[in-house]
Amino acid sequence: MHKISVVAAFACLVLAVSAACCAEITIKDDLGREVKINSPSERVVFMMENALKTYYAVGDPENIVALKDDKWMRKLLEDIFPVIDPDFEKKLTVSMTGDRVDLESLARADPDLVVLWATTPDDVNIKAIEETLGVPVFAIFVRSIDDVLHQVDTMGAISDRMERAAEVKKIMHDYMNITTNVTSNIPESERPKVYWMWTDVLGTAGVNSGINDLIELAGGVNVMKFAENETAMTMEHPVVNLETLIKLNPDVIYMWYNENLDPEDILTGDDFKGWKDINAVKNGRVYEIRNPYLFDAFSPRMPLALLHVAMDLHPDKFRDVDMNRTIDDFHVDMWGVHYPSMEKA
Amino acid sequence: MVAGRSKYRNLIYFFILISPFLAAGLSLFIGRYPIDPVDLFHIIISNLTGTEVRYPTAYRTVIFEVRLPRIILGLLVGASLSAAGATFQGIFRNPLVSPYILGISSGAAFGAALSIAIVPQFPVQISALLFSLIAVGFAYYIASSRGSTPVISLILSGVIVSAIFDSMLSIIQIAVNERALQSIVYWLMGSLGAASWSRVNSALPLAAAGMMIIFLLRWRLNVLALGDEEARGVGMNTDLYKALFVLAAALAASAVVSVVGIIGFVGLVVPHMIRMLFGPDHTHLIPLCMAFGATFMVLVDDIARAGMGFEVPVGVITTLIGAPFFAYLLRSTRSGGWE
Repeated sequence: MHKISVVAAFACLVLAVSAACCAEITIKDDLGREVKINSPSERVVFMMENALKTYYAVGDPENIVALKDDKWMRKLLEDIFPVIDPDFEKKLTVSMTGDRVDLESLARADPDLVVLWATTPDDVNIKAIEETLGVPVFAIFVRSIDDVLHQVDTMGAISDRMERAAEVKKIMHDYMNITTNVTSNIPESERPKVYWMWTDVLGTAGVNSGINDLIELAGGVNVMKFAENETAMTMEHPVVNLETLIKLNPDVIYMWYNENLDPEDILTGDDFKGWKDINAVKNGRVYEIRNPYLFDAFSPRMPLALLHVAMDLHPDKFRDVDMNRTIDDFHVDMWGVHYPSMEKA
Repeated sequence: MVAGRSKYRNLIYFFILISPFLAAGLSLFIGRYPIDPVDLFHIIISNLTGTEVRYPTAYRTVIFEVRLPRIILGLLVGASLSAAGATFQGIFRNPLVSPYILGISSGAAFGAALSIAIVPQFPVQISALLFSLIAVGFAYYIASSRGSTPVISLILSGVIVSAIFDSMLSIIQIAVNERALQSIVYWLMGSLGAASWSRVNSALPLAAAGMMIIFLLRWRLNVLALGDEEARGVGMNTDLYKALFVLAAALAASAVVSVVGIIGFVGLVVPHMIRMLFGPDHTHLIPLCMAFGATFMVLVDDIARAGMGFEVPVGVITTLIGAPFFAYLLRSTRSGGWE
């Protein structure tokens, strides 16, 4: 009888401890799906790089067990991940075949949660992982700056660190304010019309996109706001016709990082003679985000991307801002790492 | 339906030959940038006569730097792909053959992807052109055996080479980032959206040379189309002419594919359309294919660039418009004009 009591008491203790350390909670992912997860999730697999940045700002690096085998990311990766997470290089990798997650390499990681990018609840990877491996999937789908901020809360819930998530959001808001305290006072008449140029050159950001938010917060107006065709205007990534672009006549052309093109090519290149009457070209106002990682608008570094764009749109209003100093301060506040030296703060 | 039996044959024949000029003239007046047709006409006349007219400089830019190079490039693409398609169909005596049969599109796609994703210092056009010609050369080399190149071997070697380059393209697509992948996919769709004089100039010499060879030697295609045995029986050096035609068609198709990407349907279907109207004689088929292909491409691109506020890949519209017309002709003729 005494033994039974001891066993029962021990069992209760184990249950209590496990309940305390890993409560099961239900959260909504970015696609509105209800996902049951452990909080904290202790074996998380990240299949996307910018959500990983958010997690590293909020959660415990030890709870990440595997990462997407992203050759592009690894090739260009900055030093920040290994500094924040000493075991970063030792993490398992999950390979992809085309756009399909390799379930075998994922199963090897024995995850209790997979975080991946998806645009629809019917995504093949979500179905395959949940139905085959029985592992919950949190789908990330960022369409606006609000979604970027919401992602911090998500990572707080996953890692059961809501207080730190609140701190991270405050840091982001504080650094966004460096820009928005200035740009919110800019009258409509002084806001330049901005054409955002993705890597396919005539592909741009529609008015229902995160980049549209970024342009507006930076004190500009997305030129697609003036497009006559409503479909083109509201698409997330419309491909415009050159004559349409000449008619829209943006004051600024802003290129996302492009390995094949530089602003100089747009201004003077043989392939861009048809662009010469666009105000942005006439006035030499073609800019490029040269570091897609440091100025990633869909990660916690969004305030830096915002400041970068704002300083190009309104150089006269940000003369006193020391960009390098701001970047360093931001990294210390967010990840406890100096930038670019990568020394721990 | 074959125009030989039609009383309007000569009229249709003549109309098709002059149609590229009519289509180009009409297309100058079509576009998303609003220019009054009268103003546009004045600007064109003033440009031709060297007289001064006062209009916003953007008008001139749109007409002469945006529309005109795109129209010329469209003419060049349509003519080249149609001539190449007709040539390959004649050599291989196979109605399912397109200009891409020997791996031109797969080689070009791999070359473009290589430049976009891995070696950005290497220009996309040059890379695409180089690898499309390498693909054709490789296919020809595989098919050649003991001094001769059987048609069936050529077709099969084209399939093999295409498969190899498609696989290598897939490897690149798996390994690259999302934005580079987007650029590759957009390139693969084919578009005249990035037309410029520099692109016209880079495609024109090779495309013109290829088409010129095909045009000058076109009657020999009639002999080759009889089959190797019959052609040799009338004293033709079949391997020499086959090699010449393959080289010429490959040059023409590769030159345009390298600047606009892969545009399907035109090179496969236009030769059939002309064959249905005028029969299989290559002396007429080749010039008519060039003219009709050029016209078809330009008019379809007018819809792609002016139909909506955003660009629709021209290959999509080419198929949507060309397929019903092709189906109509197919139902109206016996054996698709091959007899």
